Amino acid sequence: MEIVVFYRTSRISPWRVLHVPVLLLVAMLAGLGCQRARPVIAVIPRTCGTALWESEHAGAAVAARSSDLDIYWNAPMRDGDIEAQISLVEKAVARGYAGIIISPIETLPMRTPIEHVLAHGIPVVVVGTELGIPSGGNRLAYVLNDEEAGGRMAARRIGLILHGQGSIAILGIDPHLMSNITRQRSFETTLAHEFPRIRVAARRLGLSSIPQEQQAAEELIYKEGNIDAIVALSLASTHGAYYALVEFGKAKTIKLVGFDQDLLPPIRAGGIDSVVAQNTFEIGRLAMGLMDRELHGTAGTTKVVVAPVLMTRENIDSPEIRQILNVVWWPAQ
Amino acid sequence: MMRFFNKRKLAIAATSVAISLLFAVVGVQVFRSISRRGPLRGDMIALEKRNDWQAFGGTWQLVNGAMRNNSDERGAKLMNGSTYWMNYMVQADVLLLGEYGDAGLIIRASDEEEGVDAYHGYMAGVRDLDDTLILGRADYGWREYVAKAVSPRVYSQQWYHLKFLAYGCVLAVSATAPSGSTTTAAIEDPGCVPSGRFGLKSYNTGAQWRNVEVRSATSQDLNAMIGYTHPPFASPLQLPTGAYPTAYDKYFEPFHRDLLEHHTDVNAQTISSLRLLSPNTPAPVTVNGVVTLTSPVLFVQDSSGGLAIPNIQTNVPLEIGDEIEAKGDAELHDFSSILRNADVRLLWSHTPVLPVSVTASQAATGDFDAKFVEIRGRLVEKHSGPGGTFILTIDDGSQSFLAIGGSAGSVASLRLLKDRSRLRLRGICSVDPSYTRDLTAFAILLPSFSDIEVIEGPPWWSAGHIIALTIGSLIVVVAGLTIFIYIERWRMQAVLEERERLAHEIHDTLAQSFAGLGFQLEAIHNAAIKGSSILSQLNVARNMARNSHDEARRSIAGLHPEHLESMGLLPALENCAHRITDGSSSIAVKTISSGSETALPLRIADSLFRIGYEAIANAVRHAHPTNLTLSLVYQKSTLELIVADDGSGFLVSSQSAGFGIRGMSKRAASISARFTIRSVPGEGTAIHVVVPLPLSSLRAFWERIPWPFSWRKQLHERANY
Repeated sequence: MEIVVFYRTSRISPWRVLHVPVLLLVAMLAGLGCQRARPVIAVIPRTCGTALWESEHAGAAVAARSSDLDIYWNAPMRDGDIEAQISLVEKAVARGYAGIIISPIETLPMRTPIEHVLAHGIPVVVVGTELGIPSGGNRLAYVLNDEEAGGRMAARRIGLILHGQGSIAILGIDPHLMSNITRQRSFETTLAHEFPRIRVAARRLGLSSIPQEQQAAEELIYKEGNIDAIVALSLASTHGAYYALVEFGKAKTIKLVGFDQDLLPPIRAGGIDSVVAQNTFEIGRLAMGLMDRELHGTAGTTKVVVAPVLMTRENIDSPEIRQILNVVWWPAQ
Repeated sequence: MMRFFNKRKLAIAATSVAISLLFAVVGVQVFRSISRRGPLRGDMIALEKRNDWQAFGGTWQLVNGAMRNNSDERGAKLMNGSTYWMNYMVQADVLLLGEYGDAGLIIRASDEEEGVDAYHGYMAGVRDLDDTLILGRADYGWREYVAKAVSPRVYSQQWYHLKFLAYGCVLAVSATAPSGSTTTAAIEDPGCVPSGRFGLKSYNTGAQWRNVEVRSATSQDLNAMIGYTHPPFASPLQLPTGAYPTAYDKYFEPFHRDLLEHHTDVNAQTISSLRLLSPNTPAPVTVNGVVTLTSPVLFVQDSSGGLAIPNIQTNVPLEIGDEIEAKGDAELHDFSSILRNADVRLLWSHTPVLPVSVTASQAATGDFDAKFVEIRGRLVEKHSGPGGTFILTIDDGSQSFLAIGGSAGSVASLRLLKDRSRLRLRGICSVDPSYTRDLTAFAILLPSFSDIEVIEGPPWWSAGHIIALTIGSLIVVVAGLTIFIYIERWRMQAVLEERERLAHEIHDTLAQSFAGLGFQLEAIHNAAIKGSSILSQLNVARNMARNSHDEARRSIAGLHPEHLESMGLLPALENCAHRITDGSSSIAVKTISSGSETALPLRIADSLFRIGYEAIANAVRHAHPTNLTLSLVYQKSTLELIVADDGSGFLVSSQSAGFGIRGMSKRAASISARFTIRSVPGEGTAIHVVVPLPLSSLRAFWERIPWPFSWRKQLHERANY
C-alpha cells in the first residue's frame, strides 16, 4: 500500500491569519452599530427622596417606558441648593442627554442655564414654576401646578374650617419662586373676596430650612397668640408650622393648612388639617409626554397646568390620593 | 516599499498582534475572575488609610478611630473596594448623629456620583424616623424592599452593629442594638446587581461608622444569618416612607423628642455685637449660630458674622448645619472674636449656611473673618500638611491665600487637581496667623474636599506641554527628514540601476557593433589594393568607427561607476580616467587626496563623479594634455574636487561654455556646490568644485543607528552592487 502525503509548501496567506480577528472586529463593530442607545432624559427635581418629588419620578418613568426613553434621575442633596441644581443641568448637557425636565429651586438664577441648554438645541420641560422665558418654538415647555387653583382651594378650606371669620397667619412666602408668589396672591385674593371677615394677621417670609421655619412659626405663635389658623405656603413652612404647633401644644386649636405633601401621618392624625397637594405623579407623566413629543418634533401644546388636590383626613386613603403618592418608578417585575 | 513587506512578514505581524490581543483578553479575564472573588481576607478596613476612600457628598472626618460624616445632606456616600466584588459581607458599628434620617452600609455599588440615590447597588441601615431596619436598592432612584421595626426603637447617638451580606441574589442584613437584641431581614432580588463596591451612607443626618470590616461571604455565612429558610422575593414598597406608619406614637416620638430641645435663650447676642465688648476683659456672652466648620476648630455663624469656638464642651457631636447655642467668654482679636470656655448646646439640625461670594481682595480686608465664603482663584501649588491635611496655595491676581483641608478621601483626590487650574472654594475665611503663618492675608479652611470645584483646567500652554510639543515636532521633522533621505536614496539607486542597464545595453549593442564594424573595415582595408582611391575613404570610415567605439567605451565608463561606493570617489575617477584614455601612456594620470577622508552621501559622490568624469573627458577630448591631476581636498565642512590638466587651455567666457560645462555647473548647483573653471590658453585648465559636507557627527550618528529593518541592509547591498 502506498501512502501519499501532500505537503503544502505555499507561503502563509495573510488572510488565513487575519480573517479571524478581522471577522471578530467587524462583528463587534456591527454589534455596536446595531445597539441603538435609547435617548436619556435628565429629570432634575428640587431635591429627591421625598414624598413630593418621588412621585414625579414615578410619573415620568411611566411615560418614559411607553416612549422608549431612559431617565437620569438626580437632584441636589440639600434643600435650596440652586448651585448643585445648575451643576446637574450642566452635567446633563455635557453628557449629551436628549432632554431635560427640571423643577427649578429658584426662578431667576435658573433662567440663564436654561437659555444655554436651549441654545444647544436640547429640549427642556420646566416643571412647577414659570421662568419667564416664553415657550413655543424654542423647544421649551412648561408643566405647572395650578397655583391659582391651589390658592383658591386653601382659601376656601380656611373659610370652611373657620366658618368665614377669624384671623390667620401666612408663612413661607417666597419671593424667589414665581409659583409661590402666584400661590400667595391667589390665596389672599380669594380670601378677601369670599371671606372678607377673615383677617390676615401676620405674614412671614419663607426660610431655607425646616428648623428656621419652625423658629419663625414659634415667634409667630408667641407674638400672635390669638390667630385661628396658619396657612403654610411651602413644604418647609408646613413642617415648621406643624412642629411649632406641637411644641406649643396648639396643634388641635390652631388649624394648619399646608402646601406640598410630605408630612402625611399628621394629616391622618389631625395635627394638620389639610395640605394642598401637587399631583407630581401626573406632572412627571405629562412632562415626559411633552418631552417625547418635542423629541419627535410633534409638540403642540407647550404649557400644561395640572390641578392640585386638597389632601385631608377624609380622603387621604382614596384611590386618587394613593395615585398621587405613588412612588413606583421601576418597571413591573 | 511594499516589496520589503512580503506576505510572510505580514502574516507574522498579524499573528503577533492576534497573540497579543489573546494574551490581553485572557489577562483581563484572569484579573476579573480574581477580582470577582471579593475581599480575600476578613481584615478590618483601615479607616485611616484615607486614600482608599472616595467621597460623594458629605463632610467626612476620622474622629477617634471612627469615620464621621458631619453633613445632613440626603445621600452622602463614602465608597471603597472593587466594582468586581460579588459575594461578600460588610459589617460596622453605625451611629446616627441626628433625627429624621438613616445611616448604614452600601454593598455591590457602581456608577456612584453625588446625589440622593445616585448609584446602582444596595443599601441597608437603621432609620430613626420610623424606628426601622431598612433594606433597598438604588438605581438612581430608591426601591425600599424592607422596613422592619427595630425593638424597642432606633435611637440617635447610639451604636448599632450592622451586618450586610450579599451572596448570589440574596441580600441579608442584621442590626444589633446595644441591648443585644438583633433584627434581621433578607430578600432575594432575582435581577440583582451582581457585583460592586461597598460604602458608608447617610441620609438626612450625620452619622459615624467604626470597626468597618469586609470579607468574602459563603453560603454558610448566609445560613448563619438567616437560617435555611428561603428569603422572600424582593417586593418594593409602593408608597413613600411614613405614609402609613403602623404606630403613630413611634412615628411622632422623634419629633417630640427633638422639639423639646428647641427652647432658646432670649438674651442671646448677635455675633457682630461682640466687637463692641471691652477689649481688655473677656465677657460672658450667649450667641446662637449655625455650625459652618467642626474641625480643626468649631466655627459658627449668624446673619451678622462668624465666630471661632475652640475647645468646646458638649456631649453631642456637632455637624455642619446644626443650629447651636453657645455660652462662653468672648475674647476680642484684631479682626474677629473667639469664644473661650464655651458650653455648646444643640438647638436643631439641618440649617446649612450658604456661602457669601467674595473676591480675594475683599477677603483680605478681614471683613469676612470666620465667615463661610465662596472664593475663586488659580492653584499655584499643593502639598501635604501635618496629620493628613493638605494645603493649597491659591492666587487671584492681586492676592494670594492658602486653602487648608483634610477630610477623608482628599489625599487621593488631591492628585486630580492640576496646577494652574482655576478653582472655586467654599470654606471659612480666617485671618488667624496660625493658619496664614503671616504669609498671606487670610486662609480658607475647607470643610471637605468636595468644597473645591475645578472651574477651568490649567492653560494648555504649560511648560510640560510646550516641551512635549517641541519634542513631538522634532520627532516629526526627524521622521520626515529620514523618509526624505531614504526616498532620495531609493531614487538615486533607481537612477544608478538605470544607468547600469544603459551601460550594459551600450556595451552589448553599440560597442560590440562598432568593434565589429572596425574589424570589418580593417579587413577590407587590408584586402584593398594599395594606392586605390578607396583607401582614404576606408581610413576615414575606420577612424569614425574607432572614435565611435571610444565614445561608447567612455559612455559605458561614465554610466557604470562600478567602484564608486566600494572604492571611493577618487579611485573611481582615476579608474575612469584610465578607461577614457584607454591606458594611453601619453597622458599621465595623477591623484592627490588631502585631509581626513569621510564617507560621502551617495548623491554628492555621484554628482562629483559626474562632474569629474565630464572634466576628464573634456580634457582628453579637447586639450590633449600630457598630465592629468585629480585632487580631493577634505576640509572640516567642505570637500574640493580639482581636475587639472596641462593641455591647450582656452579663454574662459560665457560664450565658451558649451553643453559639458553647463552640465557640470548644473550638477554642482544640485548639491549646493561652488563650481569654477580656471583656464589659460597654452597652460591648461583646472576645474574646482567645492561642496559643503553634511555635519559629520550627525551623519556618523545616523550611520550608527541600529536600524531594525533588513531592507535597509538590502538597500545598501544593492547600492554597493
